Amino acid sequence: MAEFGVSTPSVGVAGAKPAASTGKALSVVALRKTYGDAVAVDEASMEIAAGEFVTFLGASGSGKTTTLMMIAGFCEPDSGTITVGGRDVTRLAPQKRNLGFVFQQYLLFPHMTVGENVAFPLQLRGVPKEEIRRRVGQTLEMAGLSGFAGRRPRELSGGQQQRVALCRALVYRPPVILMDEPLGALDKKLRDQLQVEIKTIQQELGLTVIYVTHDQEEALVLSDRIAVMRNGRIEQFDTPRELFERPKTAFVADFLGAANFLPGRVEQQSDAHTLVRLDHSGGLLKTRRHDLAAGVAVTVAVQPGRLRVCPPDDGFCTGTVETATYVGSVVRAGVRIDSRDTSRDTSRDTSRDTGRDTGRDTGRDTGRGAPLLRLEVPAGRGPVTGERVGICADPDDVNLFPGEQGR
Amino acid sequence: MAATLAGVPARPRRLLASRRTRIGILYALPAVAYLLALFVYPIFSTLLLSVQDLDGSLTLHWYADALTGVNLSVLFTTLRIAAETALFSLVIGFLLANAISRLRPLPAALAMLIVVVPHFISALVRTYGWIIMLGDKGLVNQLLAGLGVPGAPYQLLYNEIGVVIGTTAMMLPYTVLLLYGVMRGVDRRLLAAAASMGAGRLVIFRRVYLPLVAPGLATAGLLSFILALGYYITPALMGGPNQTMIASLINQQVMKQNQWNGAAAEGVILLLLTFAGLLLVKLVSSLGEAKKRSAS
Ligand SMILES: Nc1ncnc2c1ncn2[C@@H]1O[C@H](COP(=O)(O)OP(=O)(O)OP(=O)(O)O)[C@@H](O)[C@H]1O
Ligand SMILES: [Mg+2]
Repeated sequence: MAEFGVSTPSVGVAGAKPAASTGKALSVVALRKTYGDAVAVDEASMEIAAGEFVTFLGASGSGKTTTLMMIAGFCEPDSGTITVGGRDVTRLAPQKRNLGFVFQQYLLFPHMTVGENVAFPLQLRGVPKEEIRRRVGQTLEMAGLSGFAGRRPRELSGGQQQRVALCRALVYRPPVILMDEPLGALDKKLRDQLQVEIKTIQQELGLTVIYVTHDQEEALVLSDRIAVMRNGRIEQFDTPRELFERPKTAFVADFLGAANFLPGRVEQQSDAHTLVRLDHSGGLLKTRRHDLAAGVAVTVAVQPGRLRVCPPDDGFCTGTVETATYVGSVVRAGVRIDSRDTSRDTSRDTSRDTGRDTGRDTGRDTGRGAPLLRLEVPAGRGPVTGERVGICADPDDVNLFPGEQGR
Repeated sequence: MAATLAGVPARPRRLLASRRTRIGILYALPAVAYLLALFVYPIFSTLLLSVQDLDGSLTLHWYADALTGVNLSVLFTTLRIAAETALFSLVIGFLLANAISRLRPLPAALAMLIVVVPHFISALVRTYGWIIMLGDKGLVNQLLAGLGVPGAPYQLLYNEIGVVIGTTAMMLPYTVLLLYGVMRGVDRRLLAAAASMGAGRLVIFRRVYLPLVAPGLATAGLLSFILALGYYITPALMGGPNQTMIASLINQQVMKQNQWNGAAAEGVILLLLTFAGLLLVKLVSSLGEAKKRSAS
């Protein structure tokens, strides 16, 4: 209770930064929740700094909501601890945790006006009437809802209701705000607009936010760090850049950006690089150094945007462009790579005149079993369908995972 | 198409509309006939009866009779007992419905069955059941005596306590059923939302739950009030002479005095009271709404 007292003064002072402006805002240690035999959340651990925007990203049923509910106190964990601002809240009732929660379904009080909804948490905290009026006005104005204080929630559009729900969670400046797919029910345009608003407000007020979504793009736009969840586990908790460029598992590489996967074996290790012999093309691919012994089976993962088209002799493999779709600034290309046995034949007749015909033929011959690489290349000198190309990648953009994961 | 429409303007359309109306009337005919035969005609003839003297001339003296002396006090007794019944069935019904709405679906369905099933038994039988339970040697008094409650046995029959216990018991299935429906309709996540903002149980109940079920409370209260106004069997059997209610009075006038005109006037007054009750609730609820609007 004493610690509770420490964090409350921020409530009384309008415009104050959240109490915990230094250090950890929230930490979760070995959180676990089962429903019967099913494990909803499995040993989830994370530390979140004050002022950080963290997103739980994962497929449906991966345990995002369950984790959030446990942090909020609506659902009791089987084991593990939750600490908010240094205070252990694991067994505390939701109303004692001093968190904000924005629900996917808005959950505005239908019997109160917009103004009353936003004033409600302030009234609970005994904030004086004048101050309540001022802060409600201020918050609604920030969300572009100044004229709506007297309306009932049902008289608002979905996006407006969502903003009211946001106001109601922001107005009392809880040290941590939890949001469960708050934009899930909105159309794309409104979602983009509110994403910007949420991010702006979060940065202006220095709020700590935990956000749930299964929209990858939304997670990238908003987050300082993203926790990729899979089957109740936190697969990787990192900055968007790290997740993209240094995925720890093939799942993460696939989930963010839909990487290309190729099977191979480690051929050779040097101080700075690892050389991989690819199974299909037999070509050698240079990557930054991974600590893997020679001969180990690996899966190579490269994001579509990190592959380049180059002269056939320069690449780690060659192939035929099967599709090339112009989508604005980039061309999305599908390249069927040549398999070991065919690559020798085709390398002989790469003349321009016959390129088209042989390309079509080899495409048909090697179509079965040979992998299709997805590329995103600048639209300027994009490849054309049927063209024979080599594929290059910067060693630093190639990730290796032991074993034959991926697809 | 456009040309023909322009050439022959409104006429075909009016024809169509009137045909549609005629078909509509045809569909409505059974309902209209039903209402005319079973509601409008009886009410109209009752109205007529209440302003006719024995020789057929127009008069208001049946109303004067109904609103003076013993008859007036019967009217007040009726209003009082109906109000008490409404209050108790509302409070008990709220507690019951609230408890049931928190149960899991299967136990809740069972509990609702227990509440509603007695309703299928004749009110007469249930009233006698209560008379047996509330008598000097009845279950209730024996229990109280057994617990050593001073003053037991109490007189729980043939007075207002008896009537109110009896009528309340008769109304409970209605109030519980109605309130249960409303409570089931309350989104429990709204309560969780309030909790997440720091509201304690009491505040959540007072500021969120109660306002959300308030319309149901008003309807349930009104329903039991109106039903109690015209209730006959239970007050007649469980009350004393001081608890004579308007329905008993009407019965006496018809059966004992063959006095149809006076009974008709009493009936009309009962009808007006019911309307007044309805209007009152409507007024109060719209007033609350208006106050909210002007406040914000
Ligand atoms: N009350 C419950 N009873 C039984 N199983 C549950 C319950 N709540 C969640 N689960 C299970 O726990 C797992 C995780 O659910 P959770 O709601 O956390 O997923 P999520 O990541 O939020 O998914 P979504 O993106 O669809 O909202 C799921 O397999 C789900 O079926
Ligand atoms: Mg969810």
